Amino acid sequence: MTENNFSLKKIEISVSEAEKRSGRNAVNMQETYTAYLVETRSVEHIDGQSVLTDSLWRRYSEFELLRSYLLVYYPHVVVPPLPEKRAEFVWHKLSADNMDPDFVERRRIGLENFLLRVASHPILCRDKIFYLFLTQESNWKETVNETGFQLKADSRLKALNATFRVKNPDKRFTELKHYSDELQSVISHLLRVRARVADRLYGVYKVHGNYGRVFSEWSAIEKEMGDGLQSAGHHMDVYASSIDDILEDEEHYADQLKEYLFYAEALRAVCRKHELMQYDLEMAAQDLASKKQQCEELATGTVRTFSLKGMTTKLFGQETPEQKEARIKVLEEQINEGEQQLKSKNLEGREFVKNAWADIERFKEQKNRDLKEALISYAVMQISMCKKGIQVWTNAKECFSKM
Amino acid sequence: MSGGPPKALPSTGPHSLRDMPHPLAGSSSEEAVGGDSTPSPDLLMTRSFGDKDLILPNGGTPAGTSSPASSSSLLNRLQLDDDIDGETRDLFVTVDDPKKHVCTMETYITYRITTKSTRVEFDLPEYSVRRRYQDFDWLRNKLEESQPTHLIPPLPEKFVVKGVVDRFSEEFVETRRKALDKFLKRITDHPVLSFNEHFNVFLTAKDLNAYKKQGMALLTRVGESVKHVTGGYKLRSRPLEFAAIGEYLDTFALKLGTIDRIAQRIIKEEIEYLVELREYGPVYSTWSALEGELAEPLEGVSACIGNCSTALEELTDDMTEDFLPVLREYILYSDSMKSVLKKRDQVQAEYETKLEAVALRKEDRPKVPADVEKCQDRMECFNADLKADMERWQNNKRQDFRQLLMGMADKNIQYYEKCLTAWESIIPLLQEKQEAK
Repeated sequence: MTENNFSLKKIEISVSEAEKRSGRNAVNMQETYTAYLVETRSVEHIDGQSVLTDSLWRRYSEFELLRSYLLVYYPHVVVPPLPEKRAEFVWHKLSADNMDPDFVERRRIGLENFLLRVASHPILCRDKIFYLFLTQESNWKETVNETGFQLKADSRLKALNATFRVKNPDKRFTELKHYSDELQSVISHLLRVRARVADRLYGVYKVHGNYGRVFSEWSAIEKEMGDGLQSAGHHMDVYASSIDDILEDEEHYADQLKEYLFYAEALRAVCRKHELMQYDLEMAAQDLASKKQQCEELATGTVRTFSLKGMTTKLFGQETPEQKEARIKVLEEQINEGEQQLKSKNLEGREFVKNAWADIERFKEQKNRDLKEALISYAVMQISMCKKGIQVWTNAKECFSKM
Repeated sequence: MSGGPPKALPSTGPHSLRDMPHPLAGSSSEEAVGGDSTPSPDLLMTRSFGDKDLILPNGGTPAGTSSPASSSSLLNRLQLDDDIDGETRDLFVTVDDPKKHVCTMETYITYRITTKSTRVEFDLPEYSVRRRYQDFDWLRNKLEESQPTHLIPPLPEKFVVKGVVDRFSEEFVETRRKALDKFLKRITDHPVLSFNEHFNVFLTAKDLNAYKKQGMALLTRVGESVKHVTGGYKLRSRPLEFAAIGEYLDTFALKLGTIDRIAQRIIKEEIEYLVELREYGPVYSTWSALEGELAEPLEGVSACIGNCSTALEELTDDMTEDFLPVLREYILYSDSMKSVLKKRDQVQAEYETKLEAVALRKEDRPKVPADVEKCQDRMECFNADLKADMERWQNNKRQDFRQLLMGMADKNIQYYEKCLTAWESIIPLLQEKQEAK
């Protein structure tokens, strides 16, 4: 479903608020959930002013529904991922609770990011269901379900089967799948270790806070040393409390990494689709070849392969020429059909590969840009942390010098 | 002092019968104790072992007496300011050059002790001897015995649990060397201790073991008598100023103990942080191998984290080697000071008890007997010595801690500066526009 509604206008999307709600769920049980306010603004060309055009509330499950839909209808697109459902890779101070305000806040940002990515995608932005997601609060779920996209979805079993049995997938996709597996593994590892690093760093900073108290107590029994100790102790307190903000900022970096961790899964989905289509094609070609062979055998009377018909013929006697004619006719029809199908499947396959690869190239550029920026902002965070550290210890040193 | 009957002791405190100016008072140090202002020649010459006529273990120039070489230098030495003009000092002692000795029975380390002095107590201007920890321990015991009214600096801890700490590792030996050096320098700086006979022998004797076997402790009279105090006397109350010192030392030791624990905890946390960092950096390298355009930036981040890890390791090593030992030294110091305080209490108790006994004798003309007078002498000497030493100790402590804590701040600043440099240097690498691959 496409709609050219806003490919011409510039729009701004934001997920501006999050609210706790309670209501009854599908099995009529009371539940609490968070609703997010999705606001759309159109930007007038002339004066750059934005006008609020739509504003509605969505919950996480509706975002999930939207994404599932997009995955089915745009299998050749690397569909942007959603922020994580449950908090993972947390370091100890960070809450793993979904209702925790910090988690909700980071999720709000993640959901906004998701919508922005979809809106800036050349193909996805034109989708009608996406448009309705932003504009039609009521009955949107029904509308999506009415598209019947769930039925169109490939079964996991089919996909798995295809992955194992496909003979000639495009090499690029095989490499890409391998890459996305490795990427997923390395980013997971990175996020796990980073969480432990954050934990340890927290410990180091916080223990310094103890100096504050003991210096204060010590200064009470000292004459000339007292003031210097006391004020140095204060700086130790400052040092200890500075880690909270530092690590909060670092969570943003972790979120950027997580997005690409989940993007790896989206890449794999595209590869799987290719494998499925290729396998389908190979099966169709194989089927066609066997039908052609059967036809040939019937026509020439030679039996090269075992067939049930051949067996029964032997047992119960040859079939009549009419029966044979009839069968040949059926087969020829099937062969014709098969050849047409093969042709269109081939075409489809090539289209898919072309489009998918174009989107993958687009994705690669985006990934390189985004991750470079993420690394730069991480380095900037580290620099800021170092500068703060130098500041605090320089202040403490001055206090000590006055002892 | 010539070889006559032992006169009043050269101590830093005011004498009961003479008015000796307190050396710390900064006044002229011309006034001598007991007449003779220069050591007699034969005293200088008879600094040979086994001569029982030697009576003054802490040298012929008691504090406050003038001696050509040392009067002004003494005053200067007594200035408790850090920037002592090197030229006015007349005794320099250094501990360096640790060497391992492997013998059949044991393995041990010796340190070279270099002494440079213009003092008359030293026959030669320069000495170089080798000593081991045992020798330092012996020296300290001798000083405690012979100068019981003074605060003797602490030694680094004697026993190390084998297997936990490598006694022969470079770091351990270096830490110990620094502490031994500090120990000798503190004695060198002390106006009384630095003239101690045992100290002199320690610095100069080729065969210290022979001297040790002497067994004859050259005690001062105070030393003798303090040793003989059986300790059976009960002190009624500590004078206010010494009570204050006692309380101060108690709290001080407590706070230092807490600081020691905090510092250890920080080092522990930093080491654990380091372990994680050492795993963290290489993951970026692994990732870099998967990428094209991102390969260099990722590799750069990996190297950067590696540099920060190294800087952190340096920080924890420094803190372990330089910070913790000094803290521990001061805790030991305050412990030994408390025992000196107790000895002082004993001396006072003895005096008060004896005085009371006299008072109870109800004589019509209560004359203070000689031995009670001696007790009073002892007590007042002790008090004066202790007070002077306390003040010196307080000033040195202030300097030492200022230096220690500034050092700690410095090390942390250096750590952050190294990390800052590392991260700042990869920013251009990250921002570099690469050719499309």
